[in-house]
Amino acid sequence: MTNKQQIRRALLLLLFLGAAFVGLGYRLVDLQVLRHDELSAKAEQNTQREFWQAPRRGDILDVKGNILATSIAVKTVCADPSLIGNFRPYVARALAPLLDTSEAALTQRLTPRISRTTSGELVTNGLQYVRLAKNISEATWQRISDTMANLPLGLDEKKLSRNDRGFLRNLRLHSIFSEPDQQRIYPNGALASQVIGFPATEETQVGGHYISKIVGRDGIELAMQKALSGVAGWKVTETDRHHRELVALRDEDVHARDGLNVVLTIDAAVQHFVETALADAVQKHTPKSITGIVMRPRTGEILAMVSLPNYDPNQPNTISPATRDRAITDWMEPGSTFKIVVVSGALNNGVVKLTDQFDCENGVFFYAGRHLHDAESHGILSVKGVITKSSNIGAAKIGIKLGAQNLYDYAWNFGFGQRTGIPLPGESRGSLPLVKDWSKVSIAQIPMGQGVAVTRLQMLYAMAAIANDGWLMRPMLVSRLQERDGSVVQQYKPERVRPVVTEATSRQMIEALKTVPTKDGTAPTAAMKDYVVAGKTGTAQVAENGHYAPGKYIASFIGFFPADDPQICISVVMNEPKDGHYGGQVCGPVFRDIAERCASYLNIPPDPALMTNAPAFAVENSTHKF
Amino acid sequence: MAKNRKNQAAAIRFGPALKASFLCLLIGGSAVGYVWQKNEIYRLGQQIRLREIKLAQLQADNKQLNDQISILHSPPKLDQRVKEFQLGLVPATPAQVVRLMEMPAPMDKSSPRQFAQRP
Repeated sequence: MTNKQQIRRALLLLLFLGAAFVGLGYRLVDLQVLRHDELSAKAEQNTQREFWQAPRRGDILDVKGNILATSIAVKTVCADPSLIGNFRPYVARALAPLLDTSEAALTQRLTPRISRTTSGELVTNGLQYVRLAKNISEATWQRISDTMANLPLGLDEKKLSRNDRGFLRNLRLHSIFSEPDQQRIYPNGALASQVIGFPATEETQVGGHYISKIVGRDGIELAMQKALSGVAGWKVTETDRHHRELVALRDEDVHARDGLNVVLTIDAAVQHFVETALADAVQKHTPKSITGIVMRPRTGEILAMVSLPNYDPNQPNTISPATRDRAITDWMEPGSTFKIVVVSGALNNGVVKLTDQFDCENGVFFYAGRHLHDAESHGILSVKGVITKSSNIGAAKIGIKLGAQNLYDYAWNFGFGQRTGIPLPGESRGSLPLVKDWSKVSIAQIPMGQGVAVTRLQMLYAMAAIANDGWLMRPMLVSRLQERDGSVVQQYKPERVRPVVTEATSRQMIEALKTVPTKDGTAPTAAMKDYVVAGKTGTAQVAENGHYAPGKYIASFIGFFPADDPQICISVVMNEPKDGHYGGQVCGPVFRDIAERCASYLNIPPDPALMTNAPAFAVENSTHKF
Repeated sequence: MAKNRKNQAAAIRFGPALKASFLCLLIGGSAVGYVWQKNEIYRLGQQIRLREIKLAQLQADNKQLNDQISILHSPPKLDQRVKEFQLGLVPATPAQVVRLMEMPAPMDKSSPRQFAQRP
């Protein structure tokens, strides 16, 4: 009897236990198999944290390694209003002076607000995440942290409950926090600003938080965006309840790859000389704008490129269309500087020789129903004299002799009507009409620089080809890309585009151009004391509404030195100068000023023929007895 | 015990007791070791984290100081300082520069000479 009862009880217990185990087993299968994906995702969400690591944007350096643009680490100060509660006025009062804002504005930002969107959805201004200020320095953030840690709240905290004390501790330690960010700064202010360009910040929202990225908007910042921006990294890890990372549980750790440093061919010192010289010229002649470019003709390296007015990229409000890089964006009729194209073309084709003579008609030449004028009347001039005196009529007659198609071909080969390929956004092609679109008078007008439109850079590019034995060199602005430690990733080499004229022709042209900065030429003020200069002046009228505007001129001087071994080619162009409008008169002195400072800085050996008091010493290499 | 008394074998069996103790020690030691190891991992993890933070901070400081040096060396800043302190420094004119031209080293006739091989 007892045994039976015991067996029954045991069976019941067994049944009960069996049922319990079946239940547990089912629950186990349910959790581990059936709801595996859902629950594992939830578990990961609760424990795992993903941190995005922004790459540091690369610097922009000049050829000597001077920093032109760099990024500094800053903080974005954020708040969690849910941890602040009704203590908003206290927090706002403490932080307003540090964040350089008003108490009222800060209180408003810390107040959770609910609004309805157009689609009827209720949204808050961020119950747990509000951004209070951007670009806060590390030092200021430290002061904010200290201020918050010692925030006076006007309470006797010893009398508060444990929960309330916990709330206040969270308020002081966690309600205001920061996110790492970076800010682009330009230590030299406006120096080379149009070449460097400026950036903007693009923001994307990820998981309720903003991730900002600096993106170039103009200049090298835009052109070299890919190299400068780098690649983002990330870290998947777990944190403890104090939001401290548990390194042992770090799952993925991919470091951000910083952007490469872009080293320009620009030399900050030369750029500074040019900017200073142009600023002085602006004071003197108050032109609407002025540009200056310095280039090495042998390699095409641009050492300086300035356009005034310019802007300070540290102050975005100074950026406007008026401060664009006019050296590459604006068209102009080149005026007499274009004579180098027709004369070198004619010399190269053997149509004329430097000594050939042309009748310059005493200043007025009637051709194809139009009167062509010279600034001064000239009689018979040699080809060299046409360059020296900048005779429009002489150039027109040389152009007629060269022929329309040949003139067009030479202009095209010198790079007009096409982009030079400088790595900057917004470069214009200029305008070089096809021969079929020329009027009857075009063949006489184009040689004097009318009826074509060029950029300042194109004109310098062509002059540099004459200085470089007739070879056109691609303008170089980027010298190399390098890592932060200085190791070179990519080196850019000078690039020959094409030969335009022969070396002999270029020598002849240089002989003719040497006569321009002399007392017989149009730019005696461009002559240097210790160097022979070769160059050409230009004075173009400004076309408005299909007519030349009276009293409005674009004056220019483009030259290089030492003439027999050209090291530096410089262009100076003034738009609507006052107190004089001839290229030689207003731009010549600016050229000389820049050239003399460059010669000294770049240690260019002077022409021995012009040196009177500093003979070169010959020293025996083997002993160095001095 | 009753069995021991019955069989007159009162001696304690040390073998099984030792084995049991050893097993207990092994299990206990493993547990303590596991906890110690976990603690060490956590502690070292925290040290790594702090050092990573410090390294980042030092790198940022280094970058900031490098930037500062570079900015102080930049030509426009130097020019500005020269003007500020009225140092009267001006670039040297070409006439003030003495240029030394190196002559080619005299050839040592006794030294062995190398010639390129003819193809």
